[in-house]
Amino acid sequence: MRALIAAATGLAVALALVLTITAVGAPSGDTSPKPLLTTVPAHP
Amino acid sequence: MRRKSSLVLLALAVLFAALSPLVRWYAFPRLAKIPANQYQDMVLEAKDATLLDYGTMKAKKVPKVTIVQTLKGNVEASEKIEKTAGKDVVVWDGLSYVQGPDGKMVSRIPERYIFDAHTQEPVHATGEMVDGDPVRREGIEFKWPFLTEKRDYEYFDAQARITAPIHYKGTQDFRGVEVYYFEQTIPWTKVPFPKAMPVAGITPESVAETGTTRWYTTVRKFWVEPLTGAPVYGEEIHKEELRGGTLLGDREKVTAFAGHVKMREDYIAYTVDLVKSNRMLVLLMTSYLPWGFLALGVLLLSLSLYLEARARRPADPAPTDATEPEPVTA
Repeated sequence: MRALIAAATGLAVALALVLTITAVGAPSGDTSPKPLLTTVPAHP
Repeated sequence: MRRKSSLVLLALAVLFAALSPLVRWYAFPRLAKIPANQYQDMVLEAKDATLLDYGTMKAKKVPKVTIVQTLKGNVEASEKIEKTAGKDVVVWDGLSYVQGPDGKMVSRIPERYIFDAHTQEPVHATGEMVDGDPVRREGIEFKWPFLTEKRDYEYFDAQARITAPIHYKGTQDFRGVEVYYFEQTIPWTKVPFPKAMPVAGITPESVAETGTTRWYTTVRKFWVEPLTGAPVYGEEIHKEELRGGTLLGDREKVTAFAGHVKMREDYIAYTVDLVKSNRMLVLLMTSYLPWGFLALGVLLLSLSLYLEARARRPADPAPTDATEPEPVTA
C-alpha cells in the first residue's frame, strides 16, 4: 500500500510540474522598436 | 529506515519515468514556438544580374542587386488575433526591399503573415496581405515546422500570391549541419505590379493602362535544419519580364529582372550559428531530457528495489535471553 502511495505521489508531482511549466509558458514580450529596413545593413 | 528510503526512491523513480514521455509528447509541442516578438533581417544578393532601366525601358547588366528582407513580430496584433483564434499566433510584418547597384529602390513589397506559433500553419485574419492586397495563404512561408519531415510541403509564393508544393529533394550536410533540401519551381505566371514603382510618376494603374503585363518565374531553393525547421540557407533563380502593351513599343517582352539570388556570406554564418544553438534546445526537449529522465527513473527504481529486498531479508536469530526464573508462590 505504501509503495502504491509513493508511486502515485511521484506521478502526481511529475504531472503537476509539467502542467505548471506548460501553462506558464514564455512571455510574449514587446514588439521590437527596430524598423523594417530600407537600407542594406553592414552586418547581421 | 531502509524501507523509508526505498519508498522515497520509488517515488522519484516514478517521477522521472513519467517526466520522460511528458516532456517529449506533452511539454515540447506546447513549449516549442516562434516568439511573437521576433525580429530578424536578411540580406540576399544577385551578382551580375539583369535589371530593367525604366528610363530607357531596356534591360541592362548590373554588378549587383540587393534584397533586404525584414520580419518583425507584431505582438499587439498577435494578442488581438489570439483572443478569437484560441491559440498562440504570430504576426509577422515583413518587407522585401530591393535595391539597385546605385542604391536606389527597385521595389518594396510589404506583407503580413499570420500563423500558428507552434505548427506554422497559416491563420486567417483581417490584415493578412501582400503589398496591400488581401491574400489567404495556404501552406508555409519563410519557415518550416519544428521536426520537419522528409516530404513535400505546400509553400506560399508572395509574388504570385499562390501556394504550390515545395519538394523534398534529399538530405545534405551544410557547413556541419544536417539539412533537408527543398526546391520549388513557379512556372511563368502573370503577377501584379508592385504598388511602389522605381520611377516617380509611374503607378501600377498607369502601367496597366498601357496594356503591359508583368510575368515572373522562379526556382526557390531552401536548406532547412529539420529539428528547428529553420532555413540555414536559401537561393532563388528569379526572372521577371514585362510583356506586351504600348509601353514596350514594338517589342513583345523585356526582362525586368533576372538574377541568381543568394544569401550574403555574413548572414549565412550568422544563421548557421543561430540555428545550431536553437537546435540544441530542441534536442534537449526531444531527446536528451526524455532519455536522461528515463535512464534516471530506471536507476532509481533498481536502487529502490535493492533497498527493499535488503530490508525484507530475514535478520540473524536473536540470542536466547538468560532471564531469571520468576519466583513461584507456594
